[in-house]
Amino acid sequence: MITPRSVLSGLKSLVVGLGVTGRHMVRPVVTLQYPHQRPDATHWGGPIELVTFPETGTHDCIACNACARICPSDCFDIAGVRPPGLKKMRATRFLLDFSTCSLCGLCIDVCPTDTLKYSERYDDVAYRRDLTVNDLLAPFGDDPFLAGTQP
Amino acid sequence: MSALHGLAARFLGDFGATLVLGAGFILLYLTFNVLFLIWLERKVSAHAQRRLGPMEVGPHGALQTVADMLKLLSKQLVTPLATDTFTFLFAPILIFIPTVCLASLVPLGGASAFAEMPNGLAVVVVLSGITVIAIFMAGWSSNNKYAVLGGMRSVAQVVAYEIPVLLSALAVVLIAQTLDLHAIVAGQRVPYVVVEPVAALIFFIGITAETNRAPFDIPEAESELVGGFHTEYAGMRFALFFFAEYTNMLVLGAVGATLFLGGWRGPGAEAHPWLGPVYLLLKAYAVVFLMMWARWTFPRLRFDQLMNFAWKLLIPVALVNLVVTAAVLIAVQAP
Repeated sequence: MITPRSVLSGLKSLVVGLGVTGRHMVRPVVTLQYPHQRPDATHWGGPIELVTFPETGTHDCIACNACARICPSDCFDIAGVRPPGLKKMRATRFLLDFSTCSLCGLCIDVCPTDTLKYSERYDDVAYRRDLTVNDLLAPFGDDPFLAGTQP
Repeated sequence: MSALHGLAARFLGDFGATLVLGAGFILLYLTFNVLFLIWLERKVSAHAQRRLGPMEVGPHGALQTVADMLKLLSKQLVTPLATDTFTFLFAPILIFIPTVCLASLVPLGGASAFAEMPNGLAVVVVLSGITVIAIFMAGWSSNNKYAVLGGMRSVAQVVAYEIPVLLSALAVVLIAQTLDLHAIVAGQRVPYVVVEPVAALIFFIGITAETNRAPFDIPEAESELVGGFHTEYAGMRFALFFFAEYTNMLVLGAVGATLFLGGWRGPGAEAHPWLGPVYLLLKAYAVVFLMMWARWTFPRLRFDQLMNFAWKLLIPVALVNLVVTAAVLIAVQAP
């Protein structure tokens, strides 16, 4: 039933609706122009990486395999040697198969030297399965502690 | 412009030169207008949703529609096997011609339009009615159930909006005492939207329905009918429907501006004739912007809702408005 009251309330609702979209039109946009602008990923938990300690300028992985043992998805492939003159082991291989990682963070909690952390990467892509394996030692280059030892 | 006209008149004669230059200018401008309006539509929709819209091609994406148009030009023109070929091919042309004719009728300033018609408003009404025939031709000849539904809805819709539009335009005619668009503009010392706000509102709702714009985009209804009447059209034929829709928006916006917003009139327009078209276009684009704003605000109506709305509300209100206008006019003019 169309009454003058219903017509007026209908008209009012139209104006209110236009007001809502009109207000949004003059407000700042909330989207990012992705390749040009990047979101703040400070608190993002991406694929794990090794921590760089300022004292040594490198990581502190002792290849203890604690992370590999606790990992529910068996993502790790770790090997290490003990360099002559050092009490601790030193990792020579640290591979993370990210295709099976569920980002549970148990490895980070269990690491005795606190040398694992979440990275801030959020846009890793790969076209082949073998490319999903991250070499966590790669960013560190030649390890000064391993100088002189045979790999 | 006049030098160009003189050059063309040497080959085509005076009338021929006016015809060719006028038509060429209108087509050029309308092409530019379509490219601009599609960009504007995407920008309005984006900002209504707090997005940026096209940003990559050209400054603020201004050349995005040029890129889109080039892509459409390069696409294959597919004609489905079981179509009614002539009707199918003719519909996109037929929908485009009347809108261009309409554009030439709108008074641009002073005493000039591209085409002079003593009964301009009647011609406008007739020409804008042809669009529906073209839409129905497109829908029917496509031999596609969604297209037929779209075409039928378009016809059902025209029954709803045409009468209120005519009645509201008639209120203006009553006041101006003429069908001549020039005289209607000349008569607006105060824009008629102040004198006839109800008629202006009904006219605006009517032209929104006439251009198949949301909330009255019932014949297209992407979410229900694939593409409605233009489901089977590809490439440039599809683009012609788009062309016609956006041209229609501008032209009907200009007609609305002529009838209710004072047309080309504005401060200084009498002294400087070149200001006339500028004012007219500003007003027309303001109407178009309002239509876009409404599109990105309101949900689509079902077509029985449009029918109820038009027949039970718009037509009675327009009729009452007409009677009141006539009564007031008689009372004012009585000695």
